[in-house]
Amino acid sequence: MAIAHEFEYLKPNTIDQAIDLLDKHKEKAKILAGGTDLVVLIKEGYLTPDFLIDSKSIPELNKLTFSNNELFVGANVTFSQLIENSDVKKHFKVLWEAAETVASIGVRNRATLTGNICSAVPSLDSAPALFCFDAEILVKNKQQERTIKIKDWFTGPKRTSLKSDELVLGIKLYLPKSNNQSTYKKLGRYSGEDLAQAGVGVVVMENNQYKISFCAVGPVPTRAYKIEQFLNGKELNSDNLKQTKELVNDEISPITDIRASKEYRTQMIKVMLERALLESKNLLDGKAVHSSPIL
Amino acid sequence: MKKINIKINGENRLVVVEPNDVLLDVLRDKLGVKSPKAGCERGDCGACAVLFNGKSVRSCLVFAIEADGQEIETIEGLSVNGKLSDLQEKFIEHNSFQCGYCAPGIIISATELLRSKQHPNIDEIKEAIAGNLCRCTGYTSIINAIVDVSKKQ
Amino acid sequence: MDKLRYIGKPEIRVDGREKMSGAAIYADDIDFGPDLLFAEIVESEYAHAIINSIDTSEAEKLPEVVKVITGKDFPFKFGLYMKDRFIFAQDRVRFIGEQVAVVVARCPKVAKRAVKLVKVNYTPLPALTNQMDALKEDAPLLHEGLENYNHVPWFFPKPKTNVAHWRKTIKGDIETAFADADYVLEDSYEVPRYSHCPIEPHVAIGKYDLSGRLTIWASSQSPHTQRHVFAEALAPLGITHKDVRVIAPHVGGGFGAKAGVTMEIVAAAIAMKVPGHPVKLLWSREKEFYNTYQRLGVKTKLKMGVKKDGKITAIKHELYWDAGAYVEYGANVVNAVGLSAIGPYNIPNVWIDSVCIYTNLPPGGAYRGFGYSEFLFGLESHITRIALHLGIDPIEMRKMNAIREGDLTAYGAHMNRNGLLEAIEKVEKEMKSEDFKPSSPNKVIGKGFSLFWKAPAMPPNAASSCFLKFNEDGSMNLLVSGMDIGQGYLTVMAQIAAEILGVPTSKIRVENPDTDRNPYEWQTVASHVTWGSGNAVLKAAIDAREKIFAVVERTLFMSKESLYLEDECVKCKNDPSFALPLKNFVINGIMMEDGTFKGGPILGSGVFLPEFSSTKADPDTSQGGHPNVHYTVGAACLFLEIDKETGKMKVLKVVEAIDCGKALNPDLVNGQIIGGIVQGLATVLYEDMRYSDKGKLLNANFTDYKIPTSKDIPDNIVPIIVEVAQPDGPFGARGMGEHTMLPIAPMIGNAIYEALGVRITSMPITAEKVFMAYSEKK
Repeated sequence: MAIAHEFEYLKPNTIDQAIDLLDKHKEKAKILAGGTDLVVLIKEGYLTPDFLIDSKSIPELNKLTFSNNELFVGANVTFSQLIENSDVKKHFKVLWEAAETVASIGVRNRATLTGNICSAVPSLDSAPALFCFDAEILVKNKQQERTIKIKDWFTGPKRTSLKSDELVLGIKLYLPKSNNQSTYKKLGRYSGEDLAQAGVGVVVMENNQYKISFCAVGPVPTRAYKIEQFLNGKELNSDNLKQTKELVNDEISPITDIRASKEYRTQMIKVMLERALLESKNLLDGKAVHSSPIL
Repeated sequence: MKKINIKINGENRLVVVEPNDVLLDVLRDKLGVKSPKAGCERGDCGACAVLFNGKSVRSCLVFAIEADGQEIETIEGLSVNGKLSDLQEKFIEHNSFQCGYCAPGIIISATELLRSKQHPNIDEIKEAIAGNLCRCTGYTSIINAIVDVSKKQ
Repeated sequence: MDKLRYIGKPEIRVDGREKMSGAAIYADDIDFGPDLLFAEIVESEYAHAIINSIDTSEAEKLPEVVKVITGKDFPFKFGLYMKDRFIFAQDRVRFIGEQVAVVVARCPKVAKRAVKLVKVNYTPLPALTNQMDALKEDAPLLHEGLENYNHVPWFFPKPKTNVAHWRKTIKGDIETAFADADYVLEDSYEVPRYSHCPIEPHVAIGKYDLSGRLTIWASSQSPHTQRHVFAEALAPLGITHKDVRVIAPHVGGGFGAKAGVTMEIVAAAIAMKVPGHPVKLLWSREKEFYNTYQRLGVKTKLKMGVKKDGKITAIKHELYWDAGAYVEYGANVVNAVGLSAIGPYNIPNVWIDSVCIYTNLPPGGAYRGFGYSEFLFGLESHITRIALHLGIDPIEMRKMNAIREGDLTAYGAHMNRNGLLEAIEKVEKEMKSEDFKPSSPNKVIGKGFSLFWKAPAMPPNAASSCFLKFNEDGSMNLLVSGMDIGQGYLTVMAQIAAEILGVPTSKIRVENPDTDRNPYEWQTVASHVTWGSGNAVLKAAIDAREKIFAVVERTLFMSKESLYLEDECVKCKNDPSFALPLKNFVINGIMMEDGTFKGGPILGSGVFLPEFSSTKADPDTSQGGHPNVHYTVGAACLFLEIDKETGKMKVLKVVEAIDCGKALNPDLVNGQIIGGIVQGLATVLYEDMRYSDKGKLLNANFTDYKIPTSKDIPDNIVPIIVEVAQPDGPFGARGMGEHTMLPIAPMIGNAIYEALGVRITSMPITAEKVFMAYSEKK
């Protein structure tokens, strides 16, 4: 399909070159990494950048490392690369499972985790994992390098706190020191590729400590602090789970759209949260669990 | 306008492109490589799938200029000395496809799978082609042929 | 009967190698050189509006814009069964997306930019997005000129209303029958619109060359019918059929979307305005959703009366169709259902009202099943409900009422030979052999059963024809104008010729048509080309065989009756040593001892037209006609596992038996069964078309209109082929391509009822709908 909108294509080789370009062009420029989001937006006329800055020739952005309980995902790292990484699979299972549910292999081979959070669609699958692992986004512009905590990243549907002259270098995720298991549960319209109509990520740690996060059920993804506050230190018995599910109503604000009604999203989040918590607990206790992230 | 060099099915091809030229369109309209198809232009259907440095991508979501200096494979390149690949022969033998429009994309996805895994299981086969929409077959005959090929690998 | 060598065998598709190698050419793959122009449509943003003015001046000024064309240039009507459409909207628009103007440019990017510069001034009118609103007394009239529209004689429009056609079928006396019934069940069902979603969008290229010849290349199911419609509609510009040529390359899926004429005529018209240049019109996926045919929506009221033993005595079926802005094709869907909405049952008292209603939504048209999926959802749900109420096994009730050969159809004709009871028994056997257990405590399993039937909906003179020629190596070419839209038509035609002429399928070329070279075929729709075109190929092959035997008889003095064809040779029953290779003489003639040659190139031709078909019938009751050549029947069941906590459904197994008369190629028949089942499941479980209240389609993409992936197919599909020969079919064959998706939706409805005790009477039946219905029940 021919694209009517015209733009210039720039290909820096270093971070500094990229930052210089961003500093020069600011909101007239967009970073092109995987392009699986960006190209659609340009084709359909939602975005009309004058400059596209291809980040794929900047080697530092390709880093994917795990050390000292910290996972660093460089801005160019794709979902396929996350899935192929054994550390991600072993230690950050909720991220790994979320990555597996994103679109299809042909999209995952290009789409980047950073691109996902820059798109900031309310349904993005990677958000619960990032919230559960207290992720931080490293960004840099000509003036400084700074860290944005994940809770400060999303400012509204499709909006982030990234400034127009800032380049995302990568995302850091922090693994809890205690033993833990995690999982992602996603509501789709079928088993094939779909955007989440509701998503929940949980980390279950030793001593009944929990981290819970939701996506697609509010204008931005959120951490369920109220539920965590109630549940921390408690067992996952049926009374506690019942109360947990009641508390969900206070944590989420889903809408009704062509994909799902808010009633259905609300009910399914409750079911998925319960299943996710119990599954992760079972895994932590060494029991075998067979299930799929897709509800 | 920029002159770029794309290696396509083993051959270095030079072509002049504008930044907003999409790889799928350049392959089809400027380079005469017709097998990747336009089905949805949004990456939802997989009909445009090509191998980009060995990995399957949605060529409708890649700008041609991004492919400068890179390697693209399409199903035209799977023939060796006029002989089709085992996978393509199996699809013919099984009468797997009907209208055939999704076939190039599925062959690319399945080729990527079989190159990386000797004996994929059914779930891995389904996942490999899950991004390729087929409206005609219901997928069963396609999956059976891939299973058959993988047995002989 | 001698053993068949090619018929009934899973022969390799003749187009398989082409498609797997990448050699297959689809319409958008053809190169037209540097003179190719690109067209982009200016489309209506309103569902119903008067066009006050169109200002094309800004667009025309853009460099590389060649022409901007509006409706004024083409005030010509067209239509298949009713001429109610213009090529471009004239004084008003009737659906969002309707083409108002078109920009033709040297480059596609320029065309896109120029479209934005065309200024159209509208006065919006109240839009009708619901067919029941369109029926009201005070509803705005969408087609004020309805009474003057040309249409086929078997349509009955109601002037001064939005009813484009009303098919009434009345047999017996339903009132008395209802009064005498032991149990009467009445309810309403609702089936929304659906989109075909062929993976290849519509595309058409037109070229009106400087000698006055118009050629259209199009992804098409109907090259000859399209040629006819173009020639008729564009006749005021001085064109006749002789000047119009349609070339139809490989089709990337049809399902009815590429039947009839939609955007192709726009390409033809544009071409005439830029003589000497080829111009391409390519639909985006979005346009493929809202500016091609859609499957009509329908709201039905069904009332059935039965005796306590389960015998159905009366049926009253009212179907109100949302047929869209133009019904030139969709009205025939309404008609077809109006004749058959009793299902495959022997019911003495019948009343069917099938009403075709204009709305301000995209035009409805042919979609696999042609209205039968839509009415079977309600009918097969209804019958199971009645059976359960009476305490009768739903399968036994079907057996008791199944229509048998000789029974009367709704319109009073005799039902053809059919294997319905055999299909039921085979499905029942397969069904009873299963004992599924839920895979976890929150899941339950239900099973659903359904019958189905369908007849081709065609005009009484829908004809097929074939030319056959040999080549020097003994291979042959079949020239036909049916389309292989994936079903394997080309292969099956080759198999028929192979069987008659003793030449293997692999030495027979059957290829996509060019209306200049290939003889007439009405359309590739209605699941009729295996039967209709197959008969024409059969006749052509027999004709060629006759000629072969005749020349051998007169030159070699062997009696025709003793000759037969096998292994590419003429052989003789009375002389086992005689084997004359076809390649020796099928081009060159037979060489005689005296040096002369006899015979020459062997040619065959065949024509098939069902001469017994007629639409002449009582206009008020539909009695007395023979509008349908024959019905194909079948039975199916499925097993569904439902998660009570989420409504999520998993199809464990589907069994489907269909009587195709003779499976000319079992691989291809199975392909239709599996593909149709998956498409049927998609319409009931996943596809969910959403319109705004202003008539805008909100999910015109695959992101939000979900068609199944490889991860969404049932665990197990068991196809069963029943073969009760169709007496007038080639080798006994009968069509079956559409039918395979017909029983799916009611089976899901019935399975859910069995599992959860919830009866859902509207489609789609998504997980959310099941969950909400079950929660309410609790």
